[in-house]
Amino acid sequence: MSLLEKLEAAQRSQDVLQALGVNAIGATIDVAGSATEGDIAGNRVVLAGTNNYLGLTFDPVCVEAAVRAVRSHGTGTTGSRLANGTYACHAALETELADFLEARSAIVFTTGYVANVGVISTLAGPGDVIVLDADSHASIYEGAKLSGAEVYRFRHNDPDDLDKRLRRLGERASRTLVIVEGLYSMLGDVSPLKQICEVKDRYGAYLLLDDAHSFGTMGATGRGLAQAEGVEDQVDFITGTFSKSLGSVGGYCASRKHDINPLRAQIRAYMFTASSTPSVIASTRAALHLISRRPELRTRLWSNAKRVHSALTGLGFTLGADSSPVIATIMDSPQQAADAWQMLLDAGVYVNLVVPPGAPKNMSILRCSLSAAHTPDQISQIIDAYAVVAEHLMGRPKAVAGGSL
Amino acid sequence: MTTYNECVAQIQQILRTTVAKGEVVGEDMDLIEELGLASLDVMELIEQLEDVFDISFPINELGDVRTISDLARRVQLLTDR
Ligand SMILES: Cc1ncc(COP(=O)(O)O)c(C=O)c1O
Repeated sequence: MSLLEKLEAAQRSQDVLQALGVNAIGATIDVAGSATEGDIAGNRVVLAGTNNYLGLTFDPVCVEAAVRAVRSHGTGTTGSRLANGTYACHAALETELADFLEARSAIVFTTGYVANVGVISTLAGPGDVIVLDADSHASIYEGAKLSGAEVYRFRHNDPDDLDKRLRRLGERASRTLVIVEGLYSMLGDVSPLKQICEVKDRYGAYLLLDDAHSFGTMGATGRGLAQAEGVEDQVDFITGTFSKSLGSVGGYCASRKHDINPLRAQIRAYMFTASSTPSVIASTRAALHLISRRPELRTRLWSNAKRVHSALTGLGFTLGADSSPVIATIMDSPQQAADAWQMLLDAGVYVNLVVPPGAPKNMSILRCSLSAAHTPDQISQIIDAYAVVAEHLMGRPKAVAGGSL
Repeated sequence: MTTYNECVAQIQQILRTTVAKGEVVGEDMDLIEELGLASLDVMELIEQLEDVFDISFPINELGDVRTISDLARRVQLLTDR
C-alpha cells in the first residue's frame, strides 16, 4: 500500500465512525470553570469521562501553585532534562514522588506515554523477553516493540496463562519483563496483582506495573494497587501519569528495588524532548501533597463510583467490572453505543464512546469515569441520563431508576 | 510434530469461521490487505493458534508475516521446539 493509499484507508475507517451519526471522537469540550462541568456544542453538560478522579484540576491550591510558577519561572523550560531543562522544581518533584511511594528513586517524564515507551524500550533489549497483559495500553505495546525484545502476550488478567508463558520460556524467564496495569482504563477491572507477583517471582522474572489509573485512587494512602494488595516490595518498576488523579500532564517511573537513576542517560524519550513546563510541575507537586492531606477525596470518589455502579446494575446494564472509578457499560453494537452516547449527551452527561478497535475484544462501550468532585446532584443527573438510555434502548421501565438510587 | 499443511489448514479453518465467512481462503492471501483483517483480528487469530498448538507466538515477529503461508511457516517452527 502506498503512503497516500494509507491515508485514504484511514479516511474510510473514519467514515465508518461518522456513519454512526455522532461526533464523539475528538468532540470539543469547553471546560466551564470546574472539574465536572463543560459545554459541548453549546450545551452545558456534566463531565463523566475525564479521568479526573480526584477532581484536582480546579483545586485552588493547585491552580495557585501553577500561577505562581508561571510568574516566577516562565512559560516553558525550552530544553531537555539533560541540558537546560532541569529546574529545582523537577528534582523536587522526583524526590517527593520517591518519598510518597517509598521508592529508591523516581524519574519524571513529559507524559505517561513517553514514560512507558522510554522505560520499557530501554530496560528490555534484543535477547530479552517481554510478556505483557493482552489489554495493555498502546504506550506499553509501543515500548515493547521499540525494545527489540521478543514479545509475548498473556490472556488479560490471567495469572495461569502468564505461568504457562513463563514456563515455556525455560531459563529465559529470568530475562523476562512482565508488564501489567493496575486498574484497566477501558473496562475498569483490576489486575490480580498478588497472583501475578507470585507467578513472576516463581520464575525469577521482573515486573513493571503501569499504575496510571490506580495511583491516587487505590491503596490506604493512595499509592495505588500494589499498596492495596500489599505487594509493593515485589514490584520492580512502577510507571504512571500525572494526567489522571494528579490533574495535570506528565509521567513517572519509580522503583523500590532498583536505583533507576542511570536510566536517565539512556532513555532517548527522556533525553531528546523538552522537560515539563514549571507550572505543570508546580500543580503536580501541589496535587501530590493533597493526595496525602485529603484522604476524603478517595472516599468520595469511591462512594460516587459505588452509587453509579449499583444504579446502572439496577437498570439492567451489562457492566465491565465490579464497582470501580471507571464504569464501562457494554453495548450490543457500535451503532447502539453511539445512539446511547448521544442520548446521554442530550440528557446533559458526557461519557467516552469507545468502539472497535479502541476497546478490548471488539467491544463497544460507554466509559464513564467518576470524580471526587462530582456532587450528589451531578451523580443523580448521571444516573437519570442512563435511565433514559435504558428505557429507550432496552425497553426497561424508568421506575427503577431515578436520582434517588 | 505438526506439519506445515496442518498449520495452513488450521489457519484457514479459523479464518473461515471469522472474517471469510465460509469462503475459501488461499494460502498466499495477504491477511491484512486481501483478507481485510484489522490488527485486533490478527491478535485474535494468533490467540486461537496459540491455544490449538499450545505455543507462544512472538508478536514482535508479526511485522514479517503477510500471508497465511508466512504465518503457517512460523507457527510450524514454534510447534517444533
Ligand atoms: C494505562 C495507561 N498508561 C499510560 C497512559 C498515558 O498517560 P499520559 O496521558 O500521561 O500520556 C494512559 C493514559 O492514556 C493510560 O491509560
